[in-house]
Amino acid sequence: MTIDCLVLGAGQEVGKSCVVATIGGKRVMFDCGMHMGHHDHQRYPDFARVLAATPGADFTSAISCVVITHFHLDHIGALPYFTEVCGYHGPIYMTYPTKALAPLMLEDYRKVMVDHRGEEEQYSYEDIQNCMKKVIPLDLKQTIQVDRDLVIRAYYAGHVLGAAMIYAKVGDAAMVYTGDYNMTPDRHLGAAQIDHLKLDLLITESTYAKTVRDSKHAREREFLKAVHKCVSGGGKVLIPAFALGRAQELCILLDDYWERMNLKIPIYFSAGLTIQANMYYKMLIGWTSQKIKDSYTVHNPFDFKHVCDFQRSFINDPGPCVLFATPGMISGGFSLEVFKRWAPSEKNLVTLPGYCVAGTIGHKLMSGKPTRIDLDKETHIDVRCQIHQLSFSPHTDSKGIMDLTEFLSPSHVILVHGEKPQMSFLKERIESELGMPCYYPANNETVSIPTTKNLKISATEKFITSCSTAQARDGPQKSNLICGNHLSGANGDEKLAEGILLMEKSKDAKILCEDELLQLLGAEGHSVQFEPLLRSRIGEAETDIVDDLASE
Amino acid sequence: MDEGLAASEPGPSVAKRARFMGPHASSSSGADPEMEIQALVSMASGLYPLARAEALSGLAAVLKKVNAGGGVVECCYACTEKLLRDEDEGIRLAAVRLVGLCAEKFAMREELGGDGDQMDWVFLQLSSMARDMCTEVRIEAFNALAKMQRVSEGVLLQSLSKKIIKTDTGSASSIKGKKLPPKLSFPCAAGIFAHGVEDEFYQVRTIACKTLGALAKLSNQYAQKALDLLMDMMNDDIEAVRLQTLQALFDMATYGCLSMQEKHMHMFLGILMDANVVVRNAARKILGSVNLPKLQMFKSALDGLIAGLKKNPEDQDIYGVLFSIGKNHGSFSANIAKHLAKEINMASDGELILDKPRIKALLMVSVSAAYDDKDKKLDIPTVIFSHAIPLFGMISCALAEDEQDSLLSYLYRQAGMQFWEKKLVSAEGGDYECFSVETVGGTHAQVETTGKTTKYLDEVVIKQSTRIILETVKGAWVMIKPCSIGEVQSTLRTCKEEVNSLAVNSSGSTSAVLSFVCDYLDAVQLIVEIWWFIQLDDSHAFGPTSLDILLEKLDTSVRRMKCCYAGLNRELEVQVLEFALLAILCRLSEFGTCSKLVLDKLHWIINHIDGLCADGSYELSDFSKEVKKVFDDNFIDGTPIVNICTFLEIFDLKPARDFEMLNATTAVLQVRDTDSENPLSYVYGLPVGVAFDMSLCNTSSHDRIWLRMVAGQSVQHVFLDLSCFEGNDKMKSCSRVIPFYATPMACSFVLRACLVIECPFGSIGTHQEGHGGPRDCVVQLCDELDVYFVSADTEQRQWSK
Repeated sequence: MTIDCLVLGAGQEVGKSCVVATIGGKRVMFDCGMHMGHHDHQRYPDFARVLAATPGADFTSAISCVVITHFHLDHIGALPYFTEVCGYHGPIYMTYPTKALAPLMLEDYRKVMVDHRGEEEQYSYEDIQNCMKKVIPLDLKQTIQVDRDLVIRAYYAGHVLGAAMIYAKVGDAAMVYTGDYNMTPDRHLGAAQIDHLKLDLLITESTYAKTVRDSKHAREREFLKAVHKCVSGGGKVLIPAFALGRAQELCILLDDYWERMNLKIPIYFSAGLTIQANMYYKMLIGWTSQKIKDSYTVHNPFDFKHVCDFQRSFINDPGPCVLFATPGMISGGFSLEVFKRWAPSEKNLVTLPGYCVAGTIGHKLMSGKPTRIDLDKETHIDVRCQIHQLSFSPHTDSKGIMDLTEFLSPSHVILVHGEKPQMSFLKERIESELGMPCYYPANNETVSIPTTKNLKISATEKFITSCSTAQARDGPQKSNLICGNHLSGANGDEKLAEGILLMEKSKDAKILCEDELLQLLGAEGHSVQFEPLLRSRIGEAETDIVDDLASE
Repeated sequence: MDEGLAASEPGPSVAKRARFMGPHASSSSGADPEMEIQALVSMASGLYPLARAEALSGLAAVLKKVNAGGGVVECCYACTEKLLRDEDEGIRLAAVRLVGLCAEKFAMREELGGDGDQMDWVFLQLSSMARDMCTEVRIEAFNALAKMQRVSEGVLLQSLSKKIIKTDTGSASSIKGKKLPPKLSFPCAAGIFAHGVEDEFYQVRTIACKTLGALAKLSNQYAQKALDLLMDMMNDDIEAVRLQTLQALFDMATYGCLSMQEKHMHMFLGILMDANVVVRNAARKILGSVNLPKLQMFKSALDGLIAGLKKNPEDQDIYGVLFSIGKNHGSFSANIAKHLAKEINMASDGELILDKPRIKALLMVSVSAAYDDKDKKLDIPTVIFSHAIPLFGMISCALAEDEQDSLLSYLYRQAGMQFWEKKLVSAEGGDYECFSVETVGGTHAQVETTGKTTKYLDEVVIKQSTRIILETVKGAWVMIKPCSIGEVQSTLRTCKEEVNSLAVNSSGSTSAVLSFVCDYLDAVQLIVEIWWFIQLDDSHAFGPTSLDILLEKLDTSVRRMKCCYAGLNRELEVQVLEFALLAILCRLSEFGTCSKLVLDKLHWIINHIDGLCADGSYELSDFSKEVKKVFDDNFIDGTPIVNICTFLEIFDLKPARDFEMLNATTAVLQVRDTDSENPLSYVYGLPVGVAFDMSLCNTSSHDRIWLRMVAGQSVQHVFLDLSCFEGNDKMKSCSRVIPFYATPMACSFVLRACLVIECPFGSIGTHQEGHGGPRDCVVQLCDELDVYFVSADTEQRQWSK
């Protein structure tokens, strides 16, 4: 039996994650993402290739199930297209938080695409609604019998709220698809967590295949130091952030620090953020980190103690404060409005995320230290405030990938969701350090993995008795060894037993003793006796023995 | 074996067998451990997880019993190695535990001379378990790592850094020729601590911090890098982790492997301001024993401590920390001392206030520097020492030891003063080493025992200080003639300050002693002032009332000493009576009035003193003798001529030595369910009942206690029958509703209530005509309690509005 792995997306690139694995005739599609960099047909995975192996079938019959790991668009973006446009009507699995948050993301993206860029609509609002109706929610460590043979199970992956690693098993063949994961916990999400499983294949992301990140503590410390210094000097801190993830992470960090240092300076959230995101985070406590789970019975950490209600007029108020505002890269909206007001004072501070898209103000601020930013021909901003950059990535680093791979010890590894040169570097490491064959196929390539097959065999009573008597005979010898001074040999010995494996068609395999076999076959035993011969006659004697064996 | 049976009854039966083996092995000491180990090892490789786990715990039990020698440990270790990668969490946990145990045994053997490479190997193996997915396994792995005794530096450094350190020496890839299996090479230790301190579970973070600190003694380079990680842990959101981090840092400091760098100071000074007092204390404890390489850091540490002192004035132990910091950095302190001396010299009188925490702190540091300086290399200006004498109590607290005499004389000597040194043992600087950084291995235990004895030491310190203060007062008294009065007064003032600072942390009988000494000092101070007044030619320049007030104050002090302490011994009683005598004499000499009452009192006191000294156990003082003589002679014509100055000159202070059994009589007075916000209501003109809760400490049944209630001009005394109180002499209490009759015609008033004790001189009563109050002078037993009343009419009017 083999596992055939067809990589439809995220092969040697980041974007449109989609892997179709065929395990013992069952097809599972892991993730169904879209590529944000492309605006033509390349934006979706080439679904037609799935059907190439089975001509004449439609998607519903060809694919047993679709499993989505988390709500990021490069993992879920193509799902409405696949179900509503391509016509897949089979089961779709995702975790509860993913199911809750995915429609928000999809609808947001659809609006941006259609309303702002004026592109042709790929799927409508109704399509998203219909698509989500087909989704079957999953819980962590819940084993789902998709059909008679196929079993799937989700494990906690960190990364974002509701992210999961998926374990799939058909017969003896088992594999894990990690999706995106994080091996180090942050303030509001835990680290990826999985059991020790017997795996034939591990498909892992490799965003940071080569980088080893240093401790996040240092980054947090620098961030807190910068913020504290700014507010104690009477300055205002602007933290542009996305609604989900980073904002909550930083706010927990600040809220804790405020509590400990007994600071009374207000922290504000611009309205859009609090209402939706915090509500979901409060509801989905079970999917957050241990610390939050421990403390929420007493106090929900997303009810931030030091966060105050914000009103637009506060922008111009004097005195220090901290403000979270969307969007994260100061590409427009409220964070731009605040930035315009606050940038000209050198007392103030702007903290930027680790990555900003080219063309945004965030990007301009990161590249060099501009003193003046032109918004358009007439308006420009004098930038005198301090800039602090805080990289914050929920992906695991190379060390984490190696740790997970070593822990799971699969027979084979496939790398996806990364860049080619780094992937090849990691492949070398996995092969040399862990001794596992490793692949990193490009898009639309297929990798075939041989799987182990366990065979159940029964043993006859006589065989077992003979084994145990042999063991008993060896016993005293061993104890002698132990009494000796050096014992290293004592448990190096394997308990060997000799027998004959009998495999017949349409019957279970069996282990027998020698004489039982003869009985079964109704044959008589022949004995071969050796006699010392002269060198010149050895050749003849050998042929005799061969003949004897043949007759037996 | 029947196939079906084996399948239907899997693990448990086998597990039971293994479980039986385990305890059995551990209980029967006479049995052959080799046989047991052999049996358990074979079970440990069995098919069923439960059985494997039980076999491993059985092995651990056996291993604990056997000694390090022989092949038993190797045997266990080899068996465990395989099971570290088991699928079952429980087995991995048991396996890690067993490896930890093996490591201990190996270490024991190593002390006898074995190969150290094996320790590295075990360390790597445990490290690889520190990244396990199971929390318990991680905790256990770090636990086992903390116990490692000798690990090579390369491996340790690798455990801190996620990046793989390439080493040129052969020790990295293979350990002395022994080839490592591919999975168990250097990288498996990579960054386990970096991960450990970032773990999701605080239990893991705590234990990782502990291990980080515990291993620091093995390598200096490692210790420095570990410090970076530990410093970051100060930002952890769980308090337990922060405290463990501080504990780890303290351990490192104790072993002398903590060297603070400039980049850590910001973080560290931040913790000195932590909202949690336990964290602050722990941080200071570290600062007291750490080594700061630069003057700048030293100064910023001082600034941090001083700022802490201003923000949290209750943290008095900061002075102790300042002292030990100063002592550990002699040359830096000398620098501070020089600047301070300049500041002191520059400041004109009154400008430099010793009360300022900053000055006190800097004095502490400056004095400390000279302490460890045996060769007298450091040049500490003498002016520092003379200013530091008032801080004597704090310094002795910081030193936490008995040698008070020597300390004080040391300070005086350094200050260049000759001060009844004959009585005091000369100090030797080398005797004081309580806080200095020591690098000896056994210090840890010493530090722990110090903590236990501190409480006891506190009491001893207080006793010693009290004795010395009394000596000082006596010395000052003697000096009145030769020196100017101002100097004596300032000595007395500082002594009193000292007593007050000692009293802050005292309780029980110690606090009674201190409060008695405080009253005693008050009395002496007042007598000195009165003497000064009398000596002035034109005493009326200050108005007649001043002396009057002083005399009144002196009376109160004496009364307090006389009546508010139970268990005064004969010596103290005589002293108190002599004070009383002196007070009366002062009155007589100043006003010349001589009512019969006063003379009666005088005679009663003289007789009483006589009586006390009658049995010869205590000699009558010159002063008493003189007074007795004068009054026996003069009383005949009824107008005694008193020259107070002669009396004062022969009046002698004898410092009391024995304060055993002394207890303060105190009282607590409370009124239930009322305060200024919720006043009681009354109808004016009509009596109002007030529910008082009263409790009295150390009163005897013949004490006469009154409740005094004052509202404006009207005073009402209520006698309290002590038989109504519940409890014993030590502590009795009672709740009673007591009416107050003279409610004023006002819409609201404040009733000032107070418990007072009658202060009788024999049977002589001052207010003999019965007006319902106490017969004699009274002394307050507690502070006055304000009870607020509002007229019921006013209240109703407010409601109706």
